[in-house]
Amino acid sequence: MTTRTSRSPRWPWVLLAISAAVAVTAAMVVGPDAVQGQLSRILYVHVPSAWLAFTAFGVTMLMSAMYLWKRDLAWDRRAHASAEIGVVFTGLAIGLGMIWAKPTWGVWWTWDARLTLTAIMFFVYLGYLALRRTTDDLEARAKRAAILGVLAVVQVPLVHFSVVWWRTLHQPPTLIKPEGIDMDASMFVTLMVSLAAFTTAYVAMMYKRVELARLEDELLVAERSTDGPVAGAAVSTPSIDGGA
Amino acid sequence: MTGFWAQVAVIARTELVRERRAGQVLWITIPFGAIAILLVPIAIGTDAPMLRRIGPGLFWMVVMLFGVLVAVRRSSLDTLPVRDQLALAGVDPAAAYVGRAAAAFVLLLAFEVVVGLAAVLVYDLGSGLLIAPATLLLAAAGLALLGTLAASIVSAGRDGSALVPLLVAPLSVPLLIGATQAHEAFELGRSSLGWVLMMVVTTVVLAIAGVLSAGPLQETG
Repeated sequence: MTTRTSRSPRWPWVLLAISAAVAVTAAMVVGPDAVQGQLSRILYVHVPSAWLAFTAFGVTMLMSAMYLWKRDLAWDRRAHASAEIGVVFTGLAIGLGMIWAKPTWGVWWTWDARLTLTAIMFFVYLGYLALRRTTDDLEARAKRAAILGVLAVVQVPLVHFSVVWWRTLHQPPTLIKPEGIDMDASMFVTLMVSLAAFTTAYVAMMYKRVELARLEDELLVAERSTDGPVAGAAVSTPSIDGGA
Repeated sequence: MTGFWAQVAVIARTELVRERRAGQVLWITIPFGAIAILLVPIAIGTDAPMLRRIGPGLFWMVVMLFGVLVAVRRSSLDTLPVRDQLALAGVDPAAAYVGRAAAAFVLLLAFEVVVGLAAVLVYDLGSGLLIAPATLLLAAAGLALLGTLAASIVSAGRDGSALVPLLVAPLSVPLLIGATQAHEAFELGRSSLGWVLMMVVTTVVLAIAGVLSAGPLQETG
């Protein structure tokens, strides 16, 4: 295992503090939507959360593939960190979507393709995290998780294109579509600022979580290599003078 | 050691012989699935038109959820000693994976037929459920490949067999959607080719993923 003593840098956190302040201010200052009113402000947190979830799972797939190629545990730690962050932001996107749905659609949950597939994606990556807990063997854990990490990414395009493939209650893509952006300029700028702040949060969390994962691995290896009684405390090594 | 397909045949045959001796799928999993088909109307109501309408969907749900148990049957546990033995015998890990999946496919097909027959009789469904062989075959193949892959990934770990359903159920969604939609299209007299193709693509992707990961998974111990 590679051992490094470097700490995660502070610059992402400084950048996050600045970008978060700008994003919160912009989200508060921008005018409300003509139809949805103040409720539309959830958009500035919900959309970046979903974007970050997709990005995080995409990164998990890339890092998993890199691990399978290079067999360096550093890639596995990055995949793990990204999946954990992705699960958190998927949960956030689902929760915020439900808060928005209740006053808009009249229900917390509806059997919409996008919603259902997002919830399924959430469980796929919960399974990924659960899989990592089934063994303490670093190499075995990394290999199994990497295979699932590559396979599980199939959910991401399914979720993204679900609003195109099926007639759903969830609105179709507003930003990523061939006809161009269908949004007021001020709202678009605010959303972009929020996306930048969330992406910075992802980078900062990645650095920290990868550092923590490295320390966890080092602790695991250190615990294993600690010298202890070979046959337990009940058996002691015989000595020349006959003592115990 | 013999060629790839000969190894596949030997592994599949061995798996089926072990299953015949253990009888786990025949005496536990299949009856369990049939009971689920019987329990649903008790929970949601015995309205015959409603059961006719939702019956095919319930059948596929039971296949996807209970069919996972075929992959984690005790007679097919991919333990470390078994892996070591196969490696020492010079068995190609990919052949072992395909062989196990082939045995699971046969067992899943039996599961589908028996549970499907129960659904047709109990929910008064048309015979369409059982005369669409492409859907039944592809669902069994996809689920067998996915379940075998998931069982290989979690094997030798703590809580391994308990984790397989959590991995398989969400990833089987393309198969579930394909099977239910193909059946609906069949019943309405529309072309179900698109949905069948979706199942074919899913099955091929799973087969490739399983074969490619078989080697690395054997190394993990």
